[in-house]
Order: sequence, then C-alpha cells, then structure tokens
Amino acid sequence: MSPIDWIVLGGTLAFIVLYGAWKTRRSENIQGYLLGDNSMRWATIGLSVMATQASAITFISTPGQGFESGMGFVQNYFGLPIALIIVSAVFIPIYYKLKVYTAYEYLETRFGVESRLLAAFLFLVQRGLAAGITIYAPAIILSTALGWNLTGTILLVGILVVFYTVSGGTKAVSLTQKWQMGVILLGMGLAFIMIIQNLPEQVSMGDAVSLAGVMGKLEAVNFSFDPEVRYTFWSGITGGLFLALSYFGTDQSQVQRYLGGKSPYESRMGLMFNAILKIPMQFFILFTGVMVFVFFQFQSHPVLFNTTATEMVMETPLASDMTRLEAEYQAAHLEKGKALDDVLTYMHTDNDAALEPAIVTLNERHKATLAIRDQASDLVEKASGGKSKDSDYVFLSFILNYLPVGLVGLLLAVIFSAAMSSTAGELNALAATTTVDFYKRLVKKDGSDRHYVVASKALTFAWGAIAISFALVAHLVENLIEAVNILGSIFYGTILGIFLVAFFLKRVGGNATFAAAIFAQMTIIIMFVFIPEKIAYLWYNVIGCVLVLVIGFVLSFFVTEKEIVEGDKS
Amino acid sequence: MSEEKETVKPPEAEHEPPFGAWWKMYVFVLAFMGVLVLCFALLSNSYGT
Repeated sequence: MSPIDWIVLGGTLAFIVLYGAWKTRRSENIQGYLLGDNSMRWATIGLSVMATQASAITFISTPGQGFESGMGFVQNYFGLPIALIIVSAVFIPIYYKLKVYTAYEYLETRFGVESRLLAAFLFLVQRGLAAGITIYAPAIILSTALGWNLTGTILLVGILVVFYTVSGGTKAVSLTQKWQMGVILLGMGLAFIMIIQNLPEQVSMGDAVSLAGVMGKLEAVNFSFDPEVRYTFWSGITGGLFLALSYFGTDQSQVQRYLGGKSPYESRMGLMFNAILKIPMQFFILFTGVMVFVFFQFQSHPVLFNTTATEMVMETPLASDMTRLEAEYQAAHLEKGKALDDVLTYMHTDNDAALEPAIVTLNERHKATLAIRDQASDLVEKASGGKSKDSDYVFLSFILNYLPVGLVGLLLAVIFSAAMSSTAGELNALAATTTVDFYKRLVKKDGSDRHYVVASKALTFAWGAIAISFALVAHLVENLIEAVNILGSIFYGTILGIFLVAFFLKRVGGNATFAAAIFAQMTIIIMFVFIPEKIAYLWYNVIGCVLVLVIGFVLSFFVTEKEIVEGDKS
Repeated sequence: MSEEKETVKPPEAEHEPPFGAWWKMYVFVLAFMGVLVLCFALLSNSYGT
C-alpha cells in the first residue's frame, strides 16, 4: 500500500471518529446518552439503520457472492420492505406511546418482569457473541490479504469503536454512521466505475452484462418451488420477512436506532428510507461482484485469490499438487478466453446460429476452470485443516491490484467504516439493555440521571472489552461465523414469538407466554443438540416463533394470570 | 398526572389505526418493490441461460 493510501485510510477514519466524539461530548442525561435526546431526523435514522445492518462482511463477502453465484442472493431481501412496514405500523406506535428505552421494557408492561428479562437475556447472549465476530471476521480477511498483524487489526477497529461509543453514546453512533455510510456509498460507487473502466477496450458495459447473463450470473429472480434451490422468490418473501421482522422489530441494536427519532414520523420515514433503498443497494453490491467476475474472465489471475493460502500450501508436501493445479488453471483460463472471444465476436455480428454453440463451449470451459479451483480449495483444506472461502478474497484482490493509488485507501476505509458502524450499534444496544433492563430494573432503581450515564458508559466499555477479547480468541473455534449464525437462529424465533404474542394475541397473558417461551427455547435447544442434521438452522427461527404463538395461545385457556399494573414498570 | 393533562393529544394520535395516514406510503413502498421484482425478473429472462 502506498503512503497516499495510508493517508486516505487514516485520515478518513480519524476524521469520522474525532468528529463523532467531539460533536457529542456533552451527553449528561440518560435520555441523551441512550436515545440521543430524541433529536434525530429521518435521514440520520435511515442511514444509521442501514449502517448498523451493513457490516464489513457485507462489502467483502457480498461481491464475492455475486462473483460466485450471481444475483440470486438479492431475493433474501424481498421480505424486508414488508417487515419494515409492519414495524412502522405496529411496533413504533407502541414503543413511542410507552416511551421505552429498550424494546424489552414494553414486554414488562404487557406480561410482567419475567418475560422482559428473558427476552433481554436472550438478546445479550446472541448479540454479545455477534459483536466479537463483527470485529473478527473482517480482521482475519484484511490481515490475510494485506499481511497485517491480526491482533493489531482487531485492536485498531475495537479500540476506535469503543472510544467514540463510550464517549458519545447513541448520538455519536448515529452521527458517525451517517458519515461512514457516506464513505461506503462513495467508495463502492467509485469502485464500480473503475471495474467498468478496467474492462478490455472491445468489451462495452452492454457486452459485460450480456456475458454475465450467458454465463448464468444474472438470474436475480427464481420462482421455482424446488426446496433444493437455495435462493428463490418464495424463500425470500417468507423467510426474509421473518428474519427482518425479528431483526428490525425486536433486536435492540436496530430498535435503538429508530427510537432516537424526534417523533414517530421521523422514525417511520427512516425505516421507509430503508424499505425503498435496501434492495437496490444489495442489488448494486451483488452486481459489482458480477462485473468483477466479467473483469476476471479477461484478466489472468492465480487459481486462488487468497494467495496467502496458496503460499501456505507451497510450504507443505502438497506443493507439487498446487503447482500442477496452478499450471492447469492457467491453461484452462486461456482456453476459456478463446471461447469468450468467439462469443463476443458472434454477439457483435449478430450471428445467432454460431452464438448458441459458442455459449455452450464457453460454459463447458468455465466449468473446467471451476473444477480446478475446487481442487485447489481442497488442497488448502487438507494442508490447513480448515475451510477458506476463496470468494471472500475476490473483491479485496481486485481493490489491491487494480485500483489506482488513493482509491485503495478509500476502499479499505469503506471496509473499516462498515466494521466500526455495525460494531458501534451493537455495543451501544448491549450497554442500553444491560443498563435499563437489568441494572436499573434489578440493582439500582432510584439512581440519578448522571449515575445511569456513568453506568452506561462503563457497560459500553465492558461490552467493548468482551467483544475485543472474543475476537482475539475467535480463531480457536472452527467455523465460528456459522456457529454464531446458528446461535442467533436458536434465540431469534423465541424472542420474535414473545413480541408477536404481545402485539397480536391479546388474550394471552404473561404466565402463559413465559411458559411457552421456555418450552419453545428448550425444544429448539434439544433439536439442535440431538438432531442438528435433520433441520437447517434457519428453520429454528420459524419453529421457535410458531411454538411460542401456538403454545401461548393454548395455555391461555388454562393458566391463571396476575394483573399487570402499568406503574410497576421502572 | 398533571403533565399528562397539560399535553393533551388529539384522539387520533392516541387511537391511530395501524396503517393510519401512512397507508399511501406503505402502498408506494410495496408498489416500488413490485416494480423492482418485475425488473429483476425481466433481467433474469433477458439474459438468463
């Protein structure tokens, strides 16, 4: 990396962090610290909600996903606008009416303290672990691709985030997220322009799209009912709706973003901003990956984009196999290049009769190159004993090798900004939940405003330290990202189930809901422990939620409920 | 209690139906999503293998 890239990267990060800390240095009451004095406008809320969801992995892995599997992944977001409409219409009026700091406070007014503490506890467990991964996942990829020290990278991201999140609370998180989102959108836009400019002279933008299409990368919507097809319109509109409803309606890291709004109007507009822009944004990131795919069809590149993994294999007895695969790949890539030229020529001359067989040849040769890449990945797995997803390194490889000086620094700032914005949102929410739902409710009910601000700051710092520590030891757990995703799915269904009972099943009281939630949670844990291979973990979300709804409803006919007095709530 | 009396809200604000005055926005969002899905489907059909 050149000195100019270092200056751009360091300058961008330093500006955002110092601006956020300085601008919000006077947060002296708890409402200011946890809800940003309810002063946020819809644009800040909208960008803040977007930045909290978009982690660094979004900008590293999603273009890789486009490169490898095409546009189909965008369907996972089809349920999101519908979920945001439900949150806007049902959740926001209730949260505002009760003037809550956390989503779980509402549960006490509806069911009693047990359900509130249960939901808050489940949130802390899953989000506490996820915060560590939000720091670790990009750090491992950045340190591998750039040769940086892993511990140093984790500490850099972690300490910067803890600094401004502790200092300025929610307001600092939202203000920095606005700037971070600006850097992210600018960087991704410039990267896209550079990809198109770097295509060979004879390949226009239209040609690139056509080539991506004939190579099967543009299938953005699939209406198939085949359960073996991974991404379909139907799975997106149902599973995606379910996940987005849990995430935006009940996950404090998102609820806190829109509860900082000046009024319900601002919060709703912030959510509608996301309902409109989220799908186009994901489409754009995936499309960037597809264009990187087209770019690398014309550009010679190593069999694996994670060159550190290749170098590691070269130091083992498997080195000769890797050398052979590398040579085979280069030869296959050249052959594919000839088929690619044929397809382009026939496209330009409108020779449809010759085009069809040329496309078949191109796709056969492409499959041959993919088979060699798979063999190389297997070699890495054999040599290291762990899996490495090579597509995660595709976009970084393009950034580091083909972008001009200055832009490399800006794109790295994009990845760091994304890591910091999502981690800050998580730490802020973890501290708010611990302070409001546990410390203020169970330990010290009558503290001064100043006391709770100090407690929130200490807890933000503590959660930051836990997240950084977890990120530092994360490499000890194999397949850690998937493990955390599974852990999230185990708890999400139950939490959403409790909230849906609260909103829509008025006859169900606290005792029935609490018993149903405990039963649902135990069932999911038993299923996970004893028959993990029978049910894909994403289904835990659905099963957990449905169990709470059905069992809660049935129990409501048999269980006696105590009356909830609104004044009981702290 | 006295605070509540001072800031009397109009009955619509307290008993606003779920989709209230926002239904036009929600219909717009859903229509926008429908157009996007249609465009994506056209893209898939035009260039798909």
